[in-house]
Amino acid sequence: MDKIELLSPAGDLERLKVTLLYGADAVYIGGEKYSLRANATNFTLDDIKEATTFAHKLNKKVYLTLNIVFHNEDMTGVEEYIKDVVESGIDAFIVSDPFIISHIKTNYPKVEVHLSTQNSTSNYKTIEYFKNEGIDRVVLAREVNLEDMKEMIEKTGVDLEIFIHGAMCTCFSGRCALSNYVTNRDANRGGCAQVCRFAFKTSEEDFTMATKDLNLARYIGKIIDTGIKSLKVEGRMRSLYYLATVIGTYREIIDNYYANTLTEEKMQVLESRLSRVANREVSTQYLTKEADYTDQYYSGRQELSNQDYLGLITGYDYENNCLILVERNYFAPGDSIEIFTPSGEIYPYTVTEIYDENLNELEVARHPEQILKLKFSKPLPAYSMIRLIKKAQISKE
Amino acid sequence: MKILVELENQEQTTADGLILALKDFSVQSKTTYTKEEISKIINQNPDKEIFISLNKNIFNSEIEALKETLLYLDTLNIKGIFFYDLAVLQLKKELNLKVDLVWNQTYMVNNYKTCNYYYQKGVKYALLSKEITLAEIIEIVKRSSITPMVEVVSFPSVAFSKRTLITNYYKNLNKQPKKEITVLEKATNQEYEIIEDESGTNFFFKKLTNGTVVIKDLYENKVPYIIMREYGIDSELFKELTNDTKEYIKGNCEDTNYLLKYQKLLGDNTNFFFKKTIYQVR
Repeated sequence: MDKIELLSPAGDLERLKVTLLYGADAVYIGGEKYSLRANATNFTLDDIKEATTFAHKLNKKVYLTLNIVFHNEDMTGVEEYIKDVVESGIDAFIVSDPFIISHIKTNYPKVEVHLSTQNSTSNYKTIEYFKNEGIDRVVLAREVNLEDMKEMIEKTGVDLEIFIHGAMCTCFSGRCALSNYVTNRDANRGGCAQVCRFAFKTSEEDFTMATKDLNLARYIGKIIDTGIKSLKVEGRMRSLYYLATVIGTYREIIDNYYANTLTEEKMQVLESRLSRVANREVSTQYLTKEADYTDQYYSGRQELSNQDYLGLITGYDYENNCLILVERNYFAPGDSIEIFTPSGEIYPYTVTEIYDENLNELEVARHPEQILKLKFSKPLPAYSMIRLIKKAQISKE
Repeated sequence: MKILVELENQEQTTADGLILALKDFSVQSKTTYTKEEISKIINQNPDKEIFISLNKNIFNSEIEALKETLLYLDTLNIKGIFFYDLAVLQLKKELNLKVDLVWNQTYMVNNYKTCNYYYQKGVKYALLSKEITLAEIIEIVKRSSITPMVEVVSFPSVAFSKRTLITNYYKNLNKQPKKEITVLEKATNQEYEIIEDESGTNFFFKKLTNGTVVIKDLYENKVPYIIMREYGIDSELFKELTNDTKEYIKGNCEDTNYLLKYQKLLGDNTNFFFKKTIYQVR
């Protein structure tokens, strides 16, 4: 049986490599044009080529988002751009505009086209329409529930992809121009200002409508059983640490489910790991019921900062048996930490001595970006990371 | 050039046609009509072009009812159906319906190539987005075969959510829910009207778009339909506007007094007709 695909976002080449190393089967990226994250770093054509070469060596895939809502002027040059991207080795385009879908399927029949969630596909008849247009996969609207997904698969046979983790829109994707009206930034061309996270004044208390984030970790088994082909994580602008943790955790959930080893105890550990990188509360939104009162916020600001990410391992000092790392957040002797690798190994560790790059001992690590060393018995793979588990008890003497 | 209106508080109009939002299948319209009411209005207005708005996002459980509804509408003397969900286009093909369709994907009807795509798929009309410029509209008109419609006067609908956002808000306050509220966006000091119905929550920009100033350009570029929506406008004023606009078009849009009058009565907000949105903010 083919395993379900775990599809990760990546905002740049480094994140793409990290997320593939941490267990993603495929990555979706934005190019310099026509993507809904106009203000992200995004990938040049050379980057796309490097990305596909890297991914294909691992037998993995890269998809390019081409999902803006096109204006007249955007049509100039898009066909040449598609040609260039195809030549860069892309595996699929994620598109919402049916003219673009038709253009790609006509000219590059071997390249897959996935219907973007921007189209808010929520029923099997719409899927049938796009099946006739040659679509290879449909990314469903986030408003669709599990039962409907099952019916869509039974009735159409089309490969379906759903979001399982990350931020949500309050409105139907593509059916919101609040950003255009409030900030003059075009929501459907990559300029969304996330107006649905603003607090609005009323004659009573402020009106807010921001949603909690999506987290379907508990339902992965049921989703796999439904026949969904791909599980998508939101967040092309997320950090390396976030992607490593979220993708690594879902990798474990999926693999354990297939191996019939996903115990309740294990699930709790994995959920707890996901919760440590969350910066908002989470819910299952529409998966098993209509989204309701419990799935949104009633205050203006929802984000919490997260300081669990302590460092990125960049090498090994063989002479002194030390891991070399770049500091990301404050830590100190006595802290309980975990060092984790892309292939899923986890090394519990209690910080004793912290050294700078010249092996001078430091009282604490307090300068993000500083090169540090920690005693460790062996080298670890590139992109291993360190996270905080528990801060040291501070003596009251 | 014909005028289509979506009415709120009146049954008679001098406009050339009516847009009627179908109950349970339309969103972003304040007033909706049952199938029976639509049938009655059609009979009462034999000289009007009747368009039905059937523009909600459709879910699996609604497909059978949608089929029945489309088959019923196909028997009526209507000019076209405004649709958002592609299920409608798929069913037109499957059921071999003769009724024409209006591509009405609110914020997505922005370029001539996609208009041509839909035209080739058998869609006769397109309601162009309210969020594009007059220059973009004219380019679409010139370069596509679809029959374009342009909304010129309305309080624009700006978003739609499946969530019950007003109910949730009042539940949090532990108060009796209302179905409509006005909210103020703090930075721009601009009001939005929010209305909840059985399908979800609708957002309207509470600043009237006065596109009377672009009617002449649209007329000269042979735009066949303009749309005006009564929601939020005084009934008498809307009636007068409809009559005057009809006369204005009849006079080849030469009457400058018309423009002065409605600049005074409707304000000078031309929405995005002369203002381009941005999307890269570096």
